[in-house]
Amino acid sequence: MEASTPTVIVTRGLRKEYDMGAEIVYALRDVDIEILSNEFIAVMGPSGSGKSTLMNVIGCLDTPTAGEYILNGSPVQDLEDDELARIRNREIGFVFQTFNLLPRATALHNVELPLIYAGVKAGERRERAARALDLVSLADRMEHQPNELSGGQRQRVAIARALVNEPSILLADEPTGNLDSSTSAEIMSLFVDLHGQGQTIIMVTHEHDIAEFAERIITLVDGMVASSHATLTSAPFASAAPPVVSEG
Amino acid sequence: MSIFEALRVALTQLWAHKLKSLFSLLGVVIGITFLIAVITVVEGMNRYVQEDFAGSLFGVNTFSVVRRPTVQTGNRSAEEIRRLARNPSVDLDDVEAVRRAVPDARYFAYRNARRMSEVWHSERRRRNIRVIGGSEDYQDVQGWKVEEGRGLTPLDQRRGLKVAVIGPEIAEKLFPTESPLGRQIRLEAHRYEVVGVFERKGGLLGNAWDAAVLMPYETYNQTLSRKRDRVLEISIKTNNERELQVAMDAAEQALRISRGLRPGEENNFYFQTSSGLLSAWETINNILLAAIPGLVSVSLVVGGIVIMNIMLVSVTQRTREIGVRKAMGATQRDIMLQFLAESSFVSLLGAVLGILLGLGLGKLVEQLSPLPASIPPWALATAIALGLLVGLSSGIYPARRASRLNPIDALRYE
Repeated sequence: MEASTPTVIVTRGLRKEYDMGAEIVYALRDVDIEILSNEFIAVMGPSGSGKSTLMNVIGCLDTPTAGEYILNGSPVQDLEDDELARIRNREIGFVFQTFNLLPRATALHNVELPLIYAGVKAGERRERAARALDLVSLADRMEHQPNELSGGQRQRVAIARALVNEPSILLADEPTGNLDSSTSAEIMSLFVDLHGQGQTIIMVTHEHDIAEFAERIITLVDGMVASSHATLTSAPFASAAPPVVSEG
Repeated sequence: MSIFEALRVALTQLWAHKLKSLFSLLGVVIGITFLIAVITVVEGMNRYVQEDFAGSLFGVNTFSVVRRPTVQTGNRSAEEIRRLARNPSVDLDDVEAVRRAVPDARYFAYRNARRMSEVWHSERRRRNIRVIGGSEDYQDVQGWKVEEGRGLTPLDQRRGLKVAVIGPEIAEKLFPTESPLGRQIRLEAHRYEVVGVFERKGGLLGNAWDAAVLMPYETYNQTLSRKRDRVLEISIKTNNERELQVAMDAAEQALRISRGLRPGEENNFYFQTSSGLLSAWETINNILLAAIPGLVSVSLVVGGIVIMNIMLVSVTQRTREIGVRKAMGATQRDIMLQFLAESSFVSLLGAVLGILLGLGLGKLVEQLSPLPASIPPWALATAIALGLLVGLSSGIYPARRASRLNPIDALRYE
């Protein structure tokens, strides 16, 4: 491993337990993962394997019951609500399966949303949001509302929104789950492009062909990391198929 | 997120749900409309009473001597009321005593009067009238103007001529097609010649005067008076406030002497002034103004509950939106601010609409009655402050609920 590639995420002994009254559900049990800058990771696993919980913890939407989560060198497992909100705003860009755009707002306003909470002034906000929409080739759809856009276009608006604040991680939860295969391919090629430009991407999916777009697949089973291996996509870059791709 | 930004987001939301927003502000609109309309009317009545009513009934710088007060002012003990009831009637001897005591009065007048059930001209009659026997200055003290014919003259007074000036309502009823001048009217068994018709006074209390018959005091005394030489009221108008006080003191002394009251004995007569009447009005006014807060707060509480309910529904409907905003980095404070901005804006808008409607109602009252529409600035400020208060207080619970939603659950909400 070369020291020149900074680590974005480190988790050590990450646990998440839900007290359901009669029994305690162990969603995560001692998850240790390490993700480097500019990696493109797919998280897979059967339902109930804890992948959604892991995404929530990594996305700072939830805090672990025990263990450490170090994001960009600082521990975040014990932070308060408002500090977590700040981290979500600055460090994390979410892409959801159901897009989650504000229905009555234009594409531009949707993309501006993270900037509003970052306290960016209106003029600069507009400019940056427009640039982000341009990045996903939607410069001509800025004033459209979500219901005037196709599924693929909506997801691209959501990706522009996730990227507009230049986050450390793009966190995508089943980003192609609601899209047909050709649109899925379109979104994946956008992810590959973004990855090529240096964006760190973590994506939860249950589709193998989608996961193959990533460089490395982390598979969870019963709340534990069952495997972590490089994909064919990354094979040319990682000759010995190490658990972590260190090529920058 | 700044308050300005929160307001912008709130406005976008409200505009997107126009109908819902409209319904949520109705309660506040009604409350504030009521507040403004009532204050407008009360203030209008206030001005009317102070500027027109009290002046026309008594006139400024005027006092009158009566047996006992005709308008109940303030709280009198039962004992005091019984004492006043034992006062002897005012009569012509008292008139002479007071006349000598206030030689410099601008006007000095006295009258006797009674209500009568009917006045006749041949086969036509007018029911429920007031007959007044007034002394020389009486018309002037009252500020009555003659529209047709003439008023009463000193000669009428001295000779006790059977002449009368009638109010416009009597003239219309008894003489619908002809001029009443020179015609006869009949009261009980007495006939009087009509020499003039008064100008219409109109208004709240003018109606009573528009159906009145005025005749010389001496004529009344000889024909209709139930007891000879009785006087209902002696009215004295002075040139200014200072003279009024001097005249009242002089009249009091003169009456005490002429009625043979010993020092320390209570006056057995009563002085009535316009300021006394105004203080009576003030009591009524204060009761009205004290009742407003109760009535208005009921409607505002209802308005607040409406807003709170609609906001709670809105929070539920927008659970996912709240989740998205939180995922994008909105803090609890940001969400709280957004919902508070919405409820406050709705409520403030309601207050503004209420003010406009209330002013409209006030104008309507002004058109339909003699009351001037008058709205004091403090009422507008109160209305705005109440609107803001209702908005904030009804928004706080829904806003807290929204701000405390767990982002994961909110994002998953269907």
